[in-house]
Amino acid sequence: MHPVLSVIFFTVASGAGFGLFSLLFVADFFALGGGFSRAHLLVGGAIALALIVLGLLSSTLHLANPKNAWRAFSRFRTSWLSREGVFAVAFMPLALAYLACIAFDAPLWLRHASGFLSAALAWITVFSTGMIYACLKTIRQWNTPLVPANYLALGYASGSLLLLLGAVRAGLDATPYVALAGLIVAIAAVLKAIYYFWIRSPGLTPTVNTATGLTRAGVRLFDSGHTHGTFLTEEFGYQLARRRASVIKVLLFVVGFALPAVMLAAVLRGSGAEAAAAVAACAGLAGAVMERWLFFAEARHVVNLYHGAQRC
Amino acid sequence: MRLGLVIDLDVCVGCHACAVSCKEWNASGSIGPLADYQPYGAEPSGVWFNRIRHFEMGEYPHNKTINFPMSCMHCEDADCVTVCPTGASYKRAEDGVVLIDQDKCMGCNYCSWACPYGARELDRATGTMKKCTLCIDRIYDENLPVEERQPACVLTCPAHARMFGDFDDPDSAVSRTVRERGGYALMPELNYNPTNRYLPPRRKPEVSVAPRPRGGLKDSLRQFANRLVRR
Amino acid sequence: MNASIRTENHDAQEIRYTTCYMCACRCGVKVTLEGGKVRFLQGNRNHPTNQGVLCAKGSAGIMKQYSPARLTQPLLRKPGSERGEGIYEPISWDQALDLLTNRLQEIRATDPSKLAFFTGRDQMQALTGLWAQQFGTPNWAAHGGFCSVNMAAAGLYTVGFSFWEFGAPDWDYAKYFIMWGVAEDHSSNPIKIGLEKLKRRGGKFVSVNPVRTGYSAIADEWLPIRPGMDGLLAMSMVHVLLRHEQFDYEFLVRYTNATWLVVQTPGQRGDGLFLRDADGHPLIWDLEKESFRNGLAGDIAPALFGEYLTADGRRVRTVMSLVAERYLDPRYAPENVAREVGLPAATIERIALEMAHIAFQESIELPIAWTDVWGRKHDKVVGRPVAMYAMRGISAHSNGFHACRAVHFIQMLLGALDAPGNFRARAPYPKPIPPHQLPENSIAVINAPNTPLSRPPLGFPTRPEDLVVDEFGNPLRIDKAYSWEVPIASHGLMHMVITNAVNHDPYAIDTLILFMSNMAWNSTMNTAQVQDMLRTRDIENFGEYRIPFLVVVDAFHSEMTNFADLILPDTTYLERYDAISLLDRPISEPDAAADAIRYPLIEPDRDVRPWQEVLVELAARLKFPAFTHADGTRRFKNYPDFIVNYERSPGVGFLAGWRGKDGSRSLKGEPNPRQWEKYIENESFFAHHWPDSQKYMRYANRDYLEVAADAGFVGKVEPIIMQFWSEPLQKFRLAGMGLYDGPQPTNQVDRERLVKYFDPLPLWYEPLEQQRVDPDEYPFFALTQRPMFMYHSWDSQNAWLRQLMAQNRLYMNAGRAAEMGIRDDDWVWVESHHGGIRCQVKTMEGTQEDTVWTWNAIGKQKGAWGLKPDASEATDGFLLNHLISELLPAQPGERRLTNSDPVTGQAAWFDLRVKIRKAAPGETGSWPQFDTLKPYPGDERYARPDVLRYDARSDAKNRGNGQTS
Ligand SMILES: Nc1nc2c(c(=O)[nH]1)N[C@H]1C(S)=C(S)[C@@H](COP(=O)(O)OP(=O)(O)OC[C@H]3O[C@@H](n4cnc5c(=O)[nH]c(N)nc54)[C@H](O)[C@@H]3O)O[C@H]1N2
Ligand SMILES: Nc1nc2c(c(=O)[nH]1)N[C@H]1C(S)=C(S)[C@@H](COP(=O)(O)OP(=O)(O)OC[C@H]3O[C@@H](n4cnc5c(=O)[nH]c(N)nc54)[C@H](O)[C@@H]3O)O[C@H]1N2
Ligand code: SF4
Ligand code: SF4
Ligand code: SF4
Ligand code: SF4
Ligand code: SF4
Ligand SMILES: [Mo]
Repeated sequence: MHPVLSVIFFTVASGAGFGLFSLLFVADFFALGGGFSRAHLLVGGAIALALIVLGLLSSTLHLANPKNAWRAFSRFRTSWLSREGVFAVAFMPLALAYLACIAFDAPLWLRHASGFLSAALAWITVFSTGMIYACLKTIRQWNTPLVPANYLALGYASGSLLLLLGAVRAGLDATPYVALAGLIVAIAAVLKAIYYFWIRSPGLTPTVNTATGLTRAGVRLFDSGHTHGTFLTEEFGYQLARRRASVIKVLLFVVGFALPAVMLAAVLRGSGAEAAAAVAACAGLAGAVMERWLFFAEARHVVNLYHGAQRC
Repeated sequence: MRLGLVIDLDVCVGCHACAVSCKEWNASGSIGPLADYQPYGAEPSGVWFNRIRHFEMGEYPHNKTINFPMSCMHCEDADCVTVCPTGASYKRAEDGVVLIDQDKCMGCNYCSWACPYGARELDRATGTMKKCTLCIDRIYDENLPVEERQPACVLTCPAHARMFGDFDDPDSAVSRTVRERGGYALMPELNYNPTNRYLPPRRKPEVSVAPRPRGGLKDSLRQFANRLVRR
Repeated sequence: MNASIRTENHDAQEIRYTTCYMCACRCGVKVTLEGGKVRFLQGNRNHPTNQGVLCAKGSAGIMKQYSPARLTQPLLRKPGSERGEGIYEPISWDQALDLLTNRLQEIRATDPSKLAFFTGRDQMQALTGLWAQQFGTPNWAAHGGFCSVNMAAAGLYTVGFSFWEFGAPDWDYAKYFIMWGVAEDHSSNPIKIGLEKLKRRGGKFVSVNPVRTGYSAIADEWLPIRPGMDGLLAMSMVHVLLRHEQFDYEFLVRYTNATWLVVQTPGQRGDGLFLRDADGHPLIWDLEKESFRNGLAGDIAPALFGEYLTADGRRVRTVMSLVAERYLDPRYAPENVAREVGLPAATIERIALEMAHIAFQESIELPIAWTDVWGRKHDKVVGRPVAMYAMRGISAHSNGFHACRAVHFIQMLLGALDAPGNFRARAPYPKPIPPHQLPENSIAVINAPNTPLSRPPLGFPTRPEDLVVDEFGNPLRIDKAYSWEVPIASHGLMHMVITNAVNHDPYAIDTLILFMSNMAWNSTMNTAQVQDMLRTRDIENFGEYRIPFLVVVDAFHSEMTNFADLILPDTTYLERYDAISLLDRPISEPDAAADAIRYPLIEPDRDVRPWQEVLVELAARLKFPAFTHADGTRRFKNYPDFIVNYERSPGVGFLAGWRGKDGSRSLKGEPNPRQWEKYIENESFFAHHWPDSQKYMRYANRDYLEVAADAGFVGKVEPIIMQFWSEPLQKFRLAGMGLYDGPQPTNQVDRERLVKYFDPLPLWYEPLEQQRVDPDEYPFFALTQRPMFMYHSWDSQNAWLRQLMAQNRLYMNAGRAAEMGIRDDDWVWVESHHGGIRCQVKTMEGTQEDTVWTWNAIGKQKGAWGLKPDASEATDGFLLNHLISELLPAQPGERRLTNSDPVTGQAAWFDLRVKIRKAAPGETGSWPQFDTLKPYPGDERYARPDVLRYDARSDAKNRGNGQTS
């Protein structure tokens, strides 16, 4: 699939935003490391919301006819894209309510209820984002529960690293935050590793033979019937060499998972904790961008079987 | 009703007539115009609802070339419809035709991702997704002569490799042909349950070359005898 | 239920019927117009040619109608600018016509041969030929010489009709069909319709072709022959049929010259000619009467085999004896040709026997009573349901004439001609063998000023006396057609005109008019040098161009118009009147004689005129007798008036339908002033359906021949006897041997060629160019094919069609390419003895291993065809034509000879051999490249938008085609 920048930015930013927001609520609820101050909570919440909103806005950039974007909420019952939109929009008032509870010292039950609900919606939204891809039978690399799991893990991993940065800056006890981030980053890394392992084995997927129904002999595309690119080749024709993919994967594990892990240790050691946390957060986000780029670049839509691919 | 097409791979010569006629009809049809990019420039491209690919099967000299037209299959379980967030994509209950409401589409491309057959193409000029309408604006146009209430591609196909009809009716020509010729669907494993069917290339007819009574082997002119034949 | 569906607003639409012009097939089209724009083009269901279907080109006619390459006004090369620079100034039609009239008047009054008028795939040759004849120049021909004259000549000298447009397979009854070297053909839609019919009925389809695409894709059996070997394959099949005695004895005796007696006096005059009686009738040996009798007569019992002695002691043998002796020779045994042909011996044998099986074991009998030309009544027709079709894969080789004759030999042996399930004739064919029409060859007439020729410039020579040469044997035609070099050049040699005219060989001309042919690009051999030739000046003659005045008549901005001194812009097919006449290349089908018209459906939005109007106008201005009254006033108001009122012979005119004053007569009758209206009412075509009794065996069908004679298709009611042994060829051969009582060539080269290539029976020889090229150095055969959705050069201007193919590749056999380390998308250098090109490779299975090929005419010169200079047709597409020379490689002691079939002058496009090597890294893009053509004055009318949104609906938001501003 052709990796579109706006979609990459959208999924990474909104994933991180939703992750950050949910974890912020967790930190608030359990008063982790002593608990954030009201001001810090509000700033953290605002940053999370900003990431989400920017992400959502950028996602509309790839719409060819944005004036109809508002209609995207209408197929909640069948479309994960619609669901994602609905959940994201439903999340907003709850998230604002939660922040308002913090700002105006609302009763604790109200603060916790709105916080819990918005955290839950955040989780569902990220899950839906993952499902947008996972529900497509046309793309083997996406059509797996690992995809929403990955989306959640990475969203929460980048959220947890951002949260850690906040905790360090706010001067809280970093230990629980390091533990939280460490755990989530580790889960994300393992899930991603499983995913990469999984997509390597082809499984029973469509081939040029099933795509054409010509099963008695080898089949090879001779001519696609048009000299230059079409919508189909532009949208689906992207092809990434295996070698390059492997290199990017190593890099992604180093930058996205190993580097944050090292930085987490550095945070625990104390000196230069803030810088270490900042590096961890940036590395985590950079890793997420790489992961997302690969996610698209490695996906092979079955329509490629009609443009020269032997299997997808 | 379940309307769709049958494509006969045994006789399709790959002439692209169906594709061009489709373009021509639909350019000025109910979801036209269909954009063409760089029509006179370096890399011409555009929106088409029907594309002909050409495959080769087997190895020289036992190879065969297969011309392969593809347009929307009007799937029964059309994920392109399920995934569409705006409701622009829909499948008509009465005849199974899958259409896109141009007034609702937001151009997110998502449906095209869900389509295994490459049937959907974004028109960058309108920002909307477009695809084969099964020539809905012909097949239901009661002001057209009855015999012309057919998709443009079917009418024009010089090899008569395309048939249009109701697959729900077991006695329709399409149903019968599919039964008799072993018509099949593409990528059945994806379970889209496409309506359109493809008829496979047939086996080559056997012609006997058994020795006949007519003559023995002649190695020289001398072996031929005259027969009395009057003009 | 379907209220939501928006259908057409039919009230805003008009329906018209006309004839397609996107190729020479000439299908009937139903045109829907909306608000003066073309809404839809579809096939006319009632039309005999296409029966409702339409091909890609036909449907894309809209984009041709609105092409930005359309010429907009007459243009004159700017004084002082160089030819080929492409700098033009508009001039008015009046000025243009005055200029041309003056020039032509001068030529006609002095030396009419100084006008050469050559036309491309002209669909009005009856008019252009008449015009040239009336002008008095022998220098006229259409594209036949570079296209497929081998097929026409082979057929017309053998069976009386031919492949190409003179016959068609009987798709309704054929059970076995062999297609030789066809990619698309003029019979484009009918072949597609027919193949489906044949396969649907369970018939077997065999394709003989080095490449497997298109039609060959759906063949039941593909025979990947080595190019140029078809003659050998066909002769080997003849061998198999003879060896197994699989031939139709009755057919041979009744309808062919197999029983005629040939004089056997080797080394003497008269050798190889038919034994004739005092009246000139060929003689047979009658088995019952035991005497020589007239071979044309009925009621004879001829011997098919045998050797006899004449009263004067000459040995004579039957043609069939000679045929059997020739082809039973082990030389033609499958095992001895297999390696050259590239097919297993067993396959060759099997295919021949399969045909025999179908012909003789699965014959068809139709209960149709008919009467033969000798008066005998038959109560049925018997069909040997083997049909064949052959085209340029056979004809575009310099051994194609004989190869095609060999294919006809198979048909004759099987008795499979013009009967049910066969290859059948299309009216006005069959014709006498060869047709009774000789080319004008009287020097006195040709040189006479202001005098029409007494006969058409083209015809069918039967003997050396018919050649168009002067008393020294020098050619009288600029293309040297009907000279000793190419005696039976029945369609001229268009591909030689520019070279010969520039070399003043045989003489200099003054004005060259080219109508719809891209002779500076894809329809010429040796493209780059031909462009240079057009620019060549004459040092002796005050620096004038070697071709002093060049007029190009075209509708579009082509590579050719760029060299014109005067460009006359034509209309498009939707803007003009046209007659598709039986006097021309017919659109008839085997079951119906047919012709058709076009009439204006769209008002031209440019200052253009139909060329036929211009021709009629010029004819009047130049006072051609056929176009003026005795007092010199013009006879025809305009072209439609000419079509209605011109009679070639009494009652026979351009259009055969609705003749007679009241329109009640068909084929023949007085002019009908309402004829155009009648055609328009009848969907722009006319079909005369043959009654069953006249549908078959028309070479010997009395009822048919009576109608044909009346309509002027044939001279008189007489049998058309098919010719195994070709006496005309033998006469030329005798001339070459110095044994002819008449003109003989003086040049040794000509003599040798006549002796070698004018064999009265088909022979196979290595194509001429290949005889002079080292196969080890140039290991590949190189060919072209037509893409089904592109007509030569002119469809690349079509915004829809060019999306399907905007660059051609060099296609190679995958295994062979792999051995050479060549992969898909590699750029390679391809070199012939003549030149080199660079192009990009695509490998495939479906190509014979020694063959490479590409799609024809996709490559373009930058700036042509309304395309932007960076169009990939120009940057990456290529022409194979650069590699093909119009002349054979030079040989010491020999004048330069044309790269053509030595019998017919057919251009030998497919004799090319090449070598291939990978281009160096970084060497990409096609080569050679040429200067970018400049836009013409008037081109600014056309927008070339980045996004085109054509929509004919008048109510559409997006009105306008975005093209004309
Ligand atoms: N779409 C379309 N239709 C056209 C035209 C067009 O440009 N486009 N042009 C029209 C014109 S002018 C013409 S003349 C006709 C020509 O129509 P065709 O006769 O079909 O001409 P080509 O496309 O040259 O195809 C020649 C075929 O012969 C094969 N061939 C080459 N050499 C050999 C050989 O030695 N032996 C055998 N057996 N096969 C061989 C080639 O692979 C190719 O398939 O088409 C007409 N129709
Ligand atoms: N390498 C290679 N070369 C070949 C062949 C091959 O097989 N291989 N095939 C050869 C054969 S068979 C042929 S027939 C030739 C064909 O070659 P051409 O006869 O040159 O065919 P086109 O390129 O179509 O060019 C015809 C011209 O007619 C013009 N035209 C189109 N419509 C109209 C109209 O309505 N009025 C007027 N006045 N002009 C019009 C076009 O603009 C174009 O300039 O090519 C030959 N060249
Ligand atoms: S028009 Fe018919 S023969 Fe031609 S490509 Fe389409 S389906 Fe095949
Ligand atoms: S072919 Fe594609 S666009 Fe058509 S119904 Fe099926 S999934 Fe949808
Ligand atoms: S592109 Fe249009 S039709 Fe397709 S999913 Fe998006 S809104 Fe629906
Ligand atoms: S049914 Fe109509 S819209 Fe669909 S491919 Fe055929 S012509 Fe095009
Ligand atoms: S075959 Fe195609 S281009 Fe040729 S006349 Fe017929 S419809 Fe027109
Ligand atoms: Mo041609």
